[in-house]
Amino acid sequence: MLEIDELSVSYLPDKKAVHALGPISLKVDSSDIYALIGPSGCGKSTLLHVLSGIIKDYQGQVTLNGKKINPKKHDIGFIPQNFGLLAWKTVYKNCLLSLRIKEKAITSSHIERIDYIMDKLNITSLRDRYPRELSGGQKQRAAIARSFIMSPDLLLMDEPFSALDALTREEAQELFVDMWNQYKTTTVFSTHSIEEAIYMGKKIVIMSHCPGTIVEIIDNPLFNTKNLREHNEFHKLSAHLRNVVKKGWKL
Amino acid sequence: MKSLRKIKTFLQGFILFNILWYIIASIISMKVLPKPTDVYLNMNHLYGKSLYIHVLVSLYRIFSGLGIALILGISIGLIMAYSNLGSKLLNPLVYFTYPIPKTALLPVVMLLFGLGNSSKIILIVFILVFQVIVAVKDAVLNISPETYHPLTSLGASKLQVFINITVPAILPALLTNLRLSIGTALSILFFSEGYGTQYGIGYYILDSWMRIDYMAMYAGIVVISLLGFALFILIDIIEETLCKWKATSTN
Ligand SMILES: Nc1ncnc2c1ncn2[C@@H]1O[C@H](COP(=O)(O)OP(=O)(O)O)[C@@H](O)[C@H]1O
Ligand SMILES: [Mg+2]
Repeated sequence: MLEIDELSVSYLPDKKAVHALGPISLKVDSSDIYALIGPSGCGKSTLLHVLSGIIKDYQGQVTLNGKKINPKKHDIGFIPQNFGLLAWKTVYKNCLLSLRIKEKAITSSHIERIDYIMDKLNITSLRDRYPRELSGGQKQRAAIARSFIMSPDLLLMDEPFSALDALTREEAQELFVDMWNQYKTTTVFSTHSIEEAIYMGKKIVIMSHCPGTIVEIIDNPLFNTKNLREHNEFHKLSAHLRNVVKKGWKL
Repeated sequence: MKSLRKIKTFLQGFILFNILWYIIASIISMKVLPKPTDVYLNMNHLYGKSLYIHVLVSLYRIFSGLGIALILGISIGLIMAYSNLGSKLLNPLVYFTYPIPKTALLPVVMLLFGLGNSSKIILIVFILVFQVIVAVKDAVLNISPETYHPLTSLGASKLQVFINITVPAILPALLTNLRLSIGTALSILFFSEGYGTQYGIGYYILDSWMRIDYMAMYAGIVVISLLGFALFILIDIIEETLCKWKATSTN
């Protein structure tokens, strides 16, 4: 379980503090998927950077499974907005990076898992390519593979699909939900698309303007529903979301 | 293969150059400009007269100078990039000394370190080390903060970050710089071998010149040119094996 208690973050550019986030409190149960939705600049990336250990200077408490969050102790899969592949490593080496850094001996069961995941994400044929030789969707799938390969305690994705074109995005979303159904990894991701939040979030967290606070948390009955747009409830929910979003974002 | 293509281009250039040389030599028809054919035919001879010893001595000086300059330059560059105090102390010094023509220091170096090998090597180090420092420092500072995020979120140690990010990120800049430096190093070597030595290809050329042995002089010039080209190709091959991930922009 991920527990965020009164978290608040400020940046210090040129000695002038910019209050970027919080205070927010949130409990994420194991095997939950939380979608963070909020206006640009409300602190979604900031929150994910705290959870991934990139920002170490914050107020409040963040614990994962009872221990203060720490990337050296926890296995955290973080997929940044630009996918975070290292340009000088092939797809395969990028996929192995998480295991290598964690200094896990690569056993035959690891290899099996790697092959399985790469195959499932359809990147087996790309294993010897460098990131510059990949399309956006392919990079995205390689980044997802890298995170799932180490079976993370927590998976974080920063606007994971916003850099993809519409068709690739739908495909990638489906693939992700597919992967999640298999491994049930605790996940927090940010998005600015209401539809994406409804399709991929079991819980949807609506955030306010900067400094971002939580306006409402919605239990999403439509999570993991195929052909969302054909459901009546989808339109009701997205209308409701739009409403809250408008109110929250005006505050 | 880039280096193969370069060798081909080199051979074409070599042939064209020799044709031109031949034509001009035929027209001028003076002893100071022998035909290339005569020079090459004469080179067999010179091999017996220990031309190769001069080549070896020069190679020793170049590689020692280059090696020391790289070790010093990379270390200082890294210190300047990663340590605030280091950069505050070293920055003014490097930028002040950067534009000073180091060749002018030849007499000083010789007074301090004698006429032997060490003063020649030190001069090469002096000339190359500042370029290496600046190249390494700039390359490290050019790594965007996001590049580190995936490793940070995996809890990577400083050493792992160094191996997985710093080294591959500075390698292309370093090799480009090295390619430029090789030419400078050879010129300096030629210059410094004019003093206080009986060995080295520079000495060989100048000595033949004094003795009005134009055949030997031209043979020396041909050899020092080939030496430069061989070093050039060597760097290309290293770059090709280590920086495969980079787009092959140079042609
Ligand atoms: N490195 C930084 N230095 C100063 N301010 C920053 C920095 N990064 C983000 N901010 C500010 O913090 C706020 C939240 O940013 P961010 O977390 O990137 O928002 P989001 O991801 O929701 O668009 C913004 O107002 C932004 O200007
Ligand atoms: Mg963001």
